[in-house]
Amino acid sequence: MAKLVLKNLYKRYPNKRNKEQNDFAVRNFSLECDDGEFVGILGPSGCGKTTTLRMIAGLEEITAGDIFICDARVNDLHPKDRRIGLAFEDYALYPPLNVYDNIAFNLRAKGVSETNIRAEIMRIAPLLKIDDLLGNRPVSLSGGQKQRVNIARAIIRKPQLLLLDEPLSHLDGKMRQVLRTEIKRLHKEINCTTIIVTHDQLEAMSLADRIAIMQDGQLQQYGTPLEVYNNPVNEFVAGFIGEPPMNILTVIITESEGRFFFTFQDNDFRIAVPEDYYPVVRSGMTVRLGIRPTDLLISPQEKGSAAVRVAVFENLGEECRVSIKAGEEFLTLTTTDEIRYRPGDIIRLEVKAGRTYLFDPVSGDRIWGESR
Amino acid sequence: MARIELTHISKRFRKVIALRDINFQVEDMEFFVLFGPAGAGKTTILKIIAGIEFPDEGLIKINDEVVNLVEPAQRNVSMVFENYALYPHFTVYDNIASPMRSPRHKTDEATIRKEVRRVAEMLKIEHLLDRMPAQISNGQKQRVAIGRCLVRNPSVFLMDEPLAHLDAKLRHFMRAEMKGLQADFNTTTIYVTHDYMEALSLGDRIAVINKGEIEQIGSANEVYYTPANQFVARLFGEPEINIFGVDLIEKENRLKLKIPGYEHLFDLEPDVERMLLKYNVRELNLGIRGTCISYAFAKEDDDFIPGTVYSLEPIGNMSILIVDINGEYIRIVAPNDLDVELDSDIFVKFDLKKALFFDRASETFIARHNRVHYVSEAA
Repeated sequence: MAKLVLKNLYKRYPNKRNKEQNDFAVRNFSLECDDGEFVGILGPSGCGKTTTLRMIAGLEEITAGDIFICDARVNDLHPKDRRIGLAFEDYALYPPLNVYDNIAFNLRAKGVSETNIRAEIMRIAPLLKIDDLLGNRPVSLSGGQKQRVNIARAIIRKPQLLLLDEPLSHLDGKMRQVLRTEIKRLHKEINCTTIIVTHDQLEAMSLADRIAIMQDGQLQQYGTPLEVYNNPVNEFVAGFIGEPPMNILTVIITESEGRFFFTFQDNDFRIAVPEDYYPVVRSGMTVRLGIRPTDLLISPQEKGSAAVRVAVFENLGEECRVSIKAGEEFLTLTTTDEIRYRPGDIIRLEVKAGRTYLFDPVSGDRIWGESR
Repeated sequence: MARIELTHISKRFRKVIALRDINFQVEDMEFFVLFGPAGAGKTTILKIIAGIEFPDEGLIKINDEVVNLVEPAQRNVSMVFENYALYPHFTVYDNIASPMRSPRHKTDEATIRKEVRRVAEMLKIEHLLDRMPAQISNGQKQRVAIGRCLVRNPSVFLMDEPLAHLDAKLRHFMRAEMKGLQADFNTTTIYVTHDYMEALSLGDRIAVINKGEIEQIGSANEVYYTPANQFVARLFGEPEINIFGVDLIEKENRLKLKIPGYEHLFDLEPDVERMLLKYNVRELNLGIRGTCISYAFAKEDDDFIPGTVYSLEPIGNMSILIVDINGEYIRIVAPNDLDVELDSDIFVKFDLKKALFFDRASETFIARHNRVHYVSEAA
């Protein structure tokens, strides 16, 4: 158990083509994880999340910045002295050894007595539901079982910090769903500060107490799953978090009779600007408007916005999706009522109160309303 | 325009059976989806229709004519692959025009221009015609690849996971786009995917393929609401449907449902009871989706089954609440702001009107309440 602090972390790789130039994989990255917290580092491939994890583990040299575990600076500490448990996407189990010996391997290397090893394995195995598999060779295990063994091996030494790098990426949908839940349970049982690196927003959201979202080596936002979902700080976070993804479209602010409207590209369709934004908008301004598909409602006739035509209707079981065309793009909403629409049907749209997001079209930063 | 029929198609690759007795008929202008997990045999079926793979047994008919021995080029089918396979050194225009310039289909340039314009307009890529493939986005590349297939006015349009390469955001967009275009395609389309949302959204009918065999053919409503077996039920919907064993108890001449480890006997809907009696099933599995289960923190009545909170996973617009009921982990869709302690007590109630009943041994579908409603709505 330990508190982890990353302070202004940088990682620079020399640019192979241009020796004068440097490429930063991680830039000015700071993060605090409380004792026992489960933190997700989330971002698209190449955003620097694995590099960050490797710096924490001591597998990658730090260009600048500091890492503290339990208030002790560990920059110069050898990986094996950091008391870190690591599990990568690749299970890398020793094929000739059975599950028991795979888990015991590192403890034996450290000279722990066989009685203690047995006691530890018997404590860990039920937590990961591998007690029946201890005599099996890796080749006979499923992907999910191999990853369980891999995680068991990482936690057997009672690390003060557990680092998981894309532990579920290799698994198929069903197994992933089950092991996701098991990892969450395991964290509760062993209560060890845990960092998970993933590109899957669903995984980060469902597992972590707090999520650090990265793009281009930089931290974009750090918050609880509900915070980053409800209050993304910029267009990147807004578009990355949430399934189905948020509608984000370019609109122009127009004014009519003292009221402001978001006017869409094809002009015959507009949505009232919530009054909260009146101090920050002006007529003629271009903004990026974000609305989650679940926050867009089909309102009873005569209420809501101007009438629009359904472009696409999709029946996905209990959930249906209705899309309307706004210029070249779609504005999509989800419904669970039983009404079926056809292309060409006229509907009126309404946005749930307080669920409209505005972003600067150049910087992508959130434009906040008055009430913030 | 074409009707396609496959009868008793089987195919082996050395010792591995890729397809076993595949039978289906695709109507003229139908959008027919082949859906299933990786390795199920979907693409092999597509290749057999295209003529680039030969079945060991069985007949392929296009418009009632057996085409087993007809060359691919003569079948008037057109295929779009997952990787768009555009010519990198050709402009978008020349890429779309390329099939009409092939020696076999040589067309005069005026007709080519007209055709390219027609499909470019339909696919909304007119402004890209002078660009090179490297200068357009993945979504646009996919549209160009589709355009290249449409210029020939093929009578059959075969698509192999055309959206699988795109990122999640673009995939949603292109799926809606594809759905919007469907009406304009004017061809019979067979579409392969492993994404259940694509299957439900696009297919007039969906064939669910598993290990080289067809599990079910039906409309989106049929496969979703009346899946032929547990395998099909599990493929559609997120979170995955809960399926677990239940007992049937006879009491006062009525069949009652009993959840293992819980005393209360639940009433069955009369139509469900009739089907269970008809098939005389006693070993039963109950299938119930996470959206059809409610929960409470105090016992409201006997319908509420006690359990403990095993996990809570917020995923944006909702949370998945996982409840442990006597060792069975039940996934429930809950609001995203729900806050509960793990291992705390909870009570859940199944909406049995929406439950599916399966035979435990064969895992096949037996009944659901108001079954006719879902099947007739499909028709």
